[in-house]
Amino acid sequence: MGKSWLRDYVIKRLIYSVIIAWGILTITFILVRVGPTSPADRYLANIAAGGHDVTQVIATIEARYGLDKPIYEQYIDYMGNLFQGNWGWSFSTSMPVIELIKTHWIYSFQLILLSSLFAAFLGILIGIYSAVKQYTKTDYAFTFLSFIGISIPNFWLGVMLILVFSVQLGIFKTYYDTTLPLFSIDNLKALVLPVITLGTGMLAGYVRYTRSAMLDNLRKAFVTTARAKGLPERAVIGKHVFRNALLPLVTIIMFDLGSIVFGGAYLTEIIFGIPGLGQISFNAIFANDYPVVIAVTLIGTFMVLLVNLITDITYTYLDPRIRYD
Amino acid sequence: MTKRLKGITTKTDRQLHSSTRLIKYYWQRTKRNKLAVFGLAFLAFLVLLAIIGPFFTLDPTAVNFEEKNIPPVGFTTEQSFYNIETDEFTTTKVSGTWKHPLGTDSKGRDMLAMIASGARVSLLVGLIATGIAIILGTIIGVLSAYLGGWVDNALMRFTDVIMTFPFFLLLVLIVFIFGPSLAIIVLAIGLTGWTGTARLLRSEALSLRTREFVTAAKAMGASDNRVIFRHLIPNIISLIIIIATLAIPGVILAEAALSFIGLGDPTVPSWGIILEAGQHSLRTAWWVAVEPGIMLFLTVLAFNFLGDGLRDAFDPKSNI
Repeated sequence: MGKSWLRDYVIKRLIYSVIIAWGILTITFILVRVGPTSPADRYLANIAAGGHDVTQVIATIEARYGLDKPIYEQYIDYMGNLFQGNWGWSFSTSMPVIELIKTHWIYSFQLILLSSLFAAFLGILIGIYSAVKQYTKTDYAFTFLSFIGISIPNFWLGVMLILVFSVQLGIFKTYYDTTLPLFSIDNLKALVLPVITLGTGMLAGYVRYTRSAMLDNLRKAFVTTARAKGLPERAVIGKHVFRNALLPLVTIIMFDLGSIVFGGAYLTEIIFGIPGLGQISFNAIFANDYPVVIAVTLIGTFMVLLVNLITDITYTYLDPRIRYD
Repeated sequence: MTKRLKGITTKTDRQLHSSTRLIKYYWQRTKRNKLAVFGLAFLAFLVLLAIIGPFFTLDPTAVNFEEKNIPPVGFTTEQSFYNIETDEFTTTKVSGTWKHPLGTDSKGRDMLAMIASGARVSLLVGLIATGIAIILGTIIGVLSAYLGGWVDNALMRFTDVIMTFPFFLLLVLIVFIFGPSLAIIVLAIGLTGWTGTARLLRSEALSLRTREFVTAAKAMGASDNRVIFRHLIPNIISLIIIIATLAIPGVILAEAALSFIGLGDPTVPSWGIILEAGQHSLRTAWWVAVEPGIMLFLTVLAFNFLGDGLRDAFDPKSNI
């Protein structure tokens, strides 16, 4: 019996995710259709220069893209294509969008993974320390620093790191070296500045969240009980307080992925020239390469959806007290 | 504290939320927070800079290649000039002058003038876009809570969809599709940034809806409009102010980030656009990238300090 509500819950969450995914695709479709530019606009200058009949050529191109069909048919085509993995053709790089993403996603992934690990590890440590030493000078110092970390624009931080460590001191290269093998020490070294750039804001956020989650639990009765039993302070903090503070923290860390991390990774990749998804979207913007820009936004959004789903489900395993009825 | 509170609650003849005494009380509590006062002072300075600054500074768009890459006052840099007659590079020392207190960029434009007009853009975008987002979020959140049923369900699922989009990626897509103009950027931020507000206010309004004073108002025959506008919204107005203060920095950063990646309005010199240009001249003119960034950083910090102070003053127990 205990397992059946869990299965029902997972099925419910899956259906919910499908509905949200449909909403995401529909909104994207509407945005593109309502937008003032059509794929044909890109060719206008060439057509005019070639002395062709502009209206006739536009009609041909629109037929090619299926833009002359009624709107509901376009909608069905669009959904069908996306589900079949046909994400369009990137004309600025002359390859299918899906291939382009397959070759570049790993760069975004390594940056996001390393930054998240760096931020979560250090942030949680500092947060615990701050909470245990509440109202001491170190606590105030960390709280103030975390304010600064949250407020510093990460793209500016990146530029400043390049200015100091690459231009002035010459310790790091100003640009990410794409020829390095992915799993190597040199590659890690090349990622130091990008990881600090992307990780600092997250780190500061985690310090604040950890501190307040720890403080919430430090005052609870079970902590007093644990101390009264004569447990060493280390065990009280580590086993009793931290474990209870961890769950809300995990949610926040996962939630950050959507609101902060993807946007931050996009900018960080551009600053350091890391050829991830942000970089290809950035290049596509200047080439007016529609399908790539749309695909990158959609992939980011679906990653968030997936992570939310996984978080919700693991949550029920981690904390059996939680029941969603 | 209790003495002061007592005076307010027993002697008001006006509605509590518009009582000048209550505002005074909140101001006193906010004033105790030194960082919040610093934030407010910096923002006052910024508003002044944005409103009257551009009347005193030079023309931010005036290009002058004779005076390019001049460092700020107090700094000296070496610059190489190419002499076309002797076909040689000569290196000379260039020092900052009071004509350009913050120096000039690679096209000889005055940095101080650009910073001042950039302040205008940032504040305008920050205030208007946050205004749109907050109004939308309030309407959706309160309606959702008050009407309940399928309206609530539909509105909240829509909120979920918008929330799933990574904020910045959605902005990039919208501005890319509709073209980079200031109006589009403001609208895009306003129309996508309301989700957090809507959720928070919905849960707040849900708990208020069942309180006695709402039931009493309904029992006396108050219309839905009256309940929403005279009872629900006045009670969440302090929450709205806090959310708005804490939302503005995110909006300002979003505009700067869009400008930074080339999706800013090219006709308006915003901090993000200056910063982007500065990134390419780090070796010759570091100050072009440093100055707008410091302004952005301080502005965001000031709003965060102020928002934090206001939250502590209005509602010490909340943990938004």
